[in-house]
Amino acid sequence: MAIGLQADPSEGVAGKKRWAMVVDLRRCIGCMACVAACKAEYDVPLGVWRTTVKVKDLGQFPNTKRQFMPRLCNHCDNPPCVRNCPTEATYKHEEGYVLQRYDRCIACRTCIAACPYNARHVLPSNRTRVKIGGVVDKCTFCEHRVSNGLVPACVQTCLGRSRIFGDLNDPKGEVHRLVSNSSTVTLKPEKGTKPQVYYIQPAQKITDQMSAPPVSYAAKADAEAFYRHNKGRQFFGGVL
Amino acid sequence: MFEYGWFHIAPWGAELSIYFFLIGMAGMSYALSTAPDLFGGKFEALRPVQTPGLLLALVIVGICAPLLILDLGQPGRFLYPIIYFHWTSPLSWGSVFLVLFTACIVGFYWAKHHGNRGDLLKPLAVVGSLLGLSMPLYTGLDLMVNTTREVWATPWMPVMFTVLSISSGTAMIALIAKVMGKTGADVMVILHTILLASVATTFALFLGLVVSLLYGSGEMQQGWQILNSQYGTQIWLLTFVVGILAPLGMLAMPAIGRQPTILVGAGIASMIGAFMVREVLLVAGQLPQLFY
Repeated sequence: MAIGLQADPSEGVAGKKRWAMVVDLRRCIGCMACVAACKAEYDVPLGVWRTTVKVKDLGQFPNTKRQFMPRLCNHCDNPPCVRNCPTEATYKHEEGYVLQRYDRCIACRTCIAACPYNARHVLPSNRTRVKIGGVVDKCTFCEHRVSNGLVPACVQTCLGRSRIFGDLNDPKGEVHRLVSNSSTVTLKPEKGTKPQVYYIQPAQKITDQMSAPPVSYAAKADAEAFYRHNKGRQFFGGVL
Repeated sequence: MFEYGWFHIAPWGAELSIYFFLIGMAGMSYALSTAPDLFGGKFEALRPVQTPGLLLALVIVGICAPLLILDLGQPGRFLYPIIYFHWTSPLSWGSVFLVLFTACIVGFYWAKHHGNRGDLLKPLAVVGSLLGLSMPLYTGLDLMVNTTREVWATPWMPVMFTVLSISSGTAMIALIAKVMGKTGADVMVILHTILLASVATTFALFLGLVVSLLYGSGEMQQGWQILNSQYGTQIWLLTFVVGILAPLGMLAMPAIGRQPTILVGAGIASMIGAFMVREVLLVAGQLPQLFY
């Protein structure tokens, strides 16, 4: 049942679309072309990402594996960011997108706090080319492209066809077929958000390991530096 | 070992924990200041601190406004949660209540000192006190409704924030009474009782917090680990020892705890704890998911 501005989930509803993405991790080579395409499509500033590819070495020598994990907004069917937004700036589209109205956003960052996937960020206010700044931004599944019959920029540019986008409600569509026939997992299913980005191949254990605390010295040092620099509000200086 | 992750900014920083602390204190200051007109009887003893208490609440709200503007980036944005009210967001409710609470402070002061409207005092005291105590309630709810952040998503969060506000507001009124030299026996009894009850409740809630973080889900335990490694001084020394154990010890014996200097000392210690526990909870709820 819809709560607040959440459109009712459209998955399986006849006559309605339910856009979703499947990421086939067997095909991802970690080239980051999707990240570059997204940056180019939206002029995403330095330091923040709408999509990125997380990299981690898993296992013990000699049985090791470098795992790539493309990440983006999961366009949840039960999005906590939408419920908690105080200005109705973020809302759930009836075709499944979770979108952002910049003119209403007050950058209170409640949606960032609510999102369990770290999929949101604040745009700097001092941007030069694109004037939208000082508000929260996120992946939109390239709604402007999809509504014109195109696929999202990251999907368009993916070298290995690791990212597949389509209508989950279309029984003849590739996304529907993959989700129906393949072993897929979603991220943090226990949070009850009903994410709509499906990953093929990994056991849930691998996706959990990908989100575990850093292991390497460099990554730990990065995390500790992040803590140190984020204790006070000086971090936000120049951002808003 | 090669790892590449990224950190999006922590959403809420120190300005929010300061705001949470101050606005809660303002709420309780108002409630205590208006108690003589609301309850009468023994609470008449608080009459001498009524006007300074009201002014303190107003000054604190005046400090909170620029804090919020600083946090949001632009002054006009404060109005958006009211204009585009979203009923499922506690922040929307809080924005409305904050405006109404401010109006109650100003209204009560006007009715008492300029308008000669004694008939308005009781209704304004009731409504204003409820709104004042809804301030810490909504700040706690603002964390609680983040259901995917397990450290925050507990119903006792708003309860704890309200109890902390009761102790810090009472402590501030005790300080005002001491500065003004209005430390009559009845005033001390009232303030001591409220402060002791609220600090004792905080102690119980803190133990609950420790147990749930120690034995909760993986995310809770990760939050606990981060707290102990990065914020050990804040949580153990400044919150638990200074903010809870010290005032409890000072207030436990009524004969000692009701001495003005002891009461004010315990109050200041509890205020330090009330701020620090908010600070660490705000951080502990956010950081576990940084790795995600």
